[in-house]
Amino acid sequence: MIEAVGLRKRFRTRRGPVEAVAGIGFRVEAGEFVGYAGPNGAGKSTTVKMMSGILLPSSGRIAVDGLVPYRERKRLARRIGVVFGQRSQLWWDLPLRESFDLIGHLYRIPAADRTARLARLVEVLGLGPLLAAPVRSLSLGQRMRAELAAAVLPAPRVLFLDEPTIGLDVEAKAAVRDFLRELNRVEGTTVILTTHDLDDIALLCSRLMIIDHGRLIYDGTVEALRTAYGTTRVLVVDLADPSATVTTGPEWAGAQVVRADGHRRWIRFAREGISAADLVALVLAEHEVLDLSIVEPEIEDVIRRIYRGEALPPGTVPPVTDTPPSQDR
Amino acid sequence: MAEGLPARRSRTRGARRRLLLPPQVVQARHRFVTATLVYLRLAAAAVRANMGQPLFLAVRTVAAGLIVVVEVTAVVLLLDRFGTIGGWRAPEVVLLFGLAFASQGLALALGNRLEADHLSLLVRKGTFDQVLTRPVSPLGWLVASYVDARYLGRLLAGVGAVAWAGDRAGVAWSAGTVALVALAVVSAAAVVFAVLLIAAAFTFVSVQGSEAGSMLVYGGTYLASYPMQIYGSALRLVFVWLVPVALAIYVPALVVLGRQGPPGLPAWLAWLTAPVSAAFLAVGGLAWRGGVRRYVGAGS
Repeated sequence: MIEAVGLRKRFRTRRGPVEAVAGIGFRVEAGEFVGYAGPNGAGKSTTVKMMSGILLPSSGRIAVDGLVPYRERKRLARRIGVVFGQRSQLWWDLPLRESFDLIGHLYRIPAADRTARLARLVEVLGLGPLLAAPVRSLSLGQRMRAELAAAVLPAPRVLFLDEPTIGLDVEAKAAVRDFLRELNRVEGTTVILTTHDLDDIALLCSRLMIIDHGRLIYDGTVEALRTAYGTTRVLVVDLADPSATVTTGPEWAGAQVVRADGHRRWIRFAREGISAADLVALVLAEHEVLDLSIVEPEIEDVIRRIYRGEALPPGTVPPVTDTPPSQDR
Repeated sequence: MAEGLPARRSRTRGARRRLLLPPQVVQARHRFVTATLVYLRLAAAAVRANMGQPLFLAVRTVAAGLIVVVEVTAVVLLLDRFGTIGGWRAPEVVLLFGLAFASQGLALALGNRLEADHLSLLVRKGTFDQVLTRPVSPLGWLVASYVDARYLGRLLAGVGAVAWAGDRAGVAWSAGTVALVALAVVSAAAVVFAVLLIAAAFTFVSVQGSEAGSMLVYGGTYLASYPMQIYGSALRLVFVWLVPVALAIYVPALVVLGRQGPPGLPAWLAWLTAPVSAAFLAVGGLAWRGGVRRYVGAGS
């Protein structure tokens, strides 16, 4: 469904040329649910823009659903859906129903198909009471559900999502995730989900690509990543005595102090090795503790560790691919 | 024996002619019609969105019209004091003003989002990227989705000024003169719109570059509001042949008023108004496409 070979994008900035995407290659089959993660400025949105035809690659090959995005932008636009978490694609001052009408006409959806599909989407996403309301009056969670319905109404083959769950409450996040999961399962829509939310990835994605500094540094299953890193957590303790050292012993099951700053100590430990309660007990036994908390691993943390070259699961780092000089575009 | 005969024979001549069109033409025409309908729907949605605040809209439209009235009054008062400008009396100059305002209003009603501040805002907010993910031409979207009724106030006031001035100047309104006025307004609007397109193309490169465009849109139409004989030949050349706003306004006005222009600007040039304006619009279109291509190539 999506194929990229040696994709590069160079920008000319005031500080000189910047390579936002430096030789990315991957293959996404139809029906995959791919998470796309990376620190800010890593090149995620640049890649997505190249995949949707908004940006011309500097070199390399990209094809989405058999089309070259920047060459056949309009044709591809009919087959893809794009949802930006922080920007609306809907008509702000008009009732929601009219946005759906306009999308129907914009994408030339036959009236009968549109009515049936819209009815189903409205039911699944609970948009019924919202149809008459102007889009600007919807809450973030309501609007997000509406944006998804609008993006999915033309039955796109590929759906690009940019932080769809950002700022949503727990219930709204669950609704969005359930919807996306069903969409991928039942209609076989290929989904590319750009996100910082580890839960999004854990609950939805069968595959994860991590990009940093324009390079793909991880391309494999979420399971493999979890096995390698996801099971560690960090215990943050504030000690009464800032000069105290926390010495770990055999009963600490591999837990180690990874950072110390004044009163605060960060102790990383593995779930299977020792429970949080036991570790806290060990620390309390030796030190006077003012406060403590437990931090779950952020995907950025995992990424930073991967980028630092910590032992990666074998076969998951994709090589940097380049195209031969005679490549046509 | 009708059985073995091909269906064509039994149809009317008109239908036969239709059947002889190659399928590509029929397809292209169908695509054009559906695309136009989509743009009309988008424009209708934009109008409906504005209707949400009818009082606000009415006030803005009336205010736009009032600005025209004020400008025209100023010109009349000026001429009252000085008699004529280039030999043209007040009503004749007001006719030019009316044509200039009307065409500016029409062009801006459609192309207001092409102006530098609006377009650069769309680019910075990422809205332009969103437009590019839609299966429509970005220009079509920008024009249709942001039709601004308040500029129609300017258009109407301009037409009103033309009507008033024509009466005072003793113009005999006929189908021909009305058609000429319509031609002038549409052609000049096309020229202004083309300038907006060219300026927009520069906005993709740098906002500063497009300030010149603003100057042409407002300065150019202001300049064309006065009879061309008061300008030197260099300026005349620029605004008749390069950015043909004067060709679209002044020359048809000559015909309507039954006047002869200065040497080098005869009234029969009115025949060239439509084709030259259309050519300039085509240039604008090419500039816009170049601008979008550059945007896609360079990113934001």
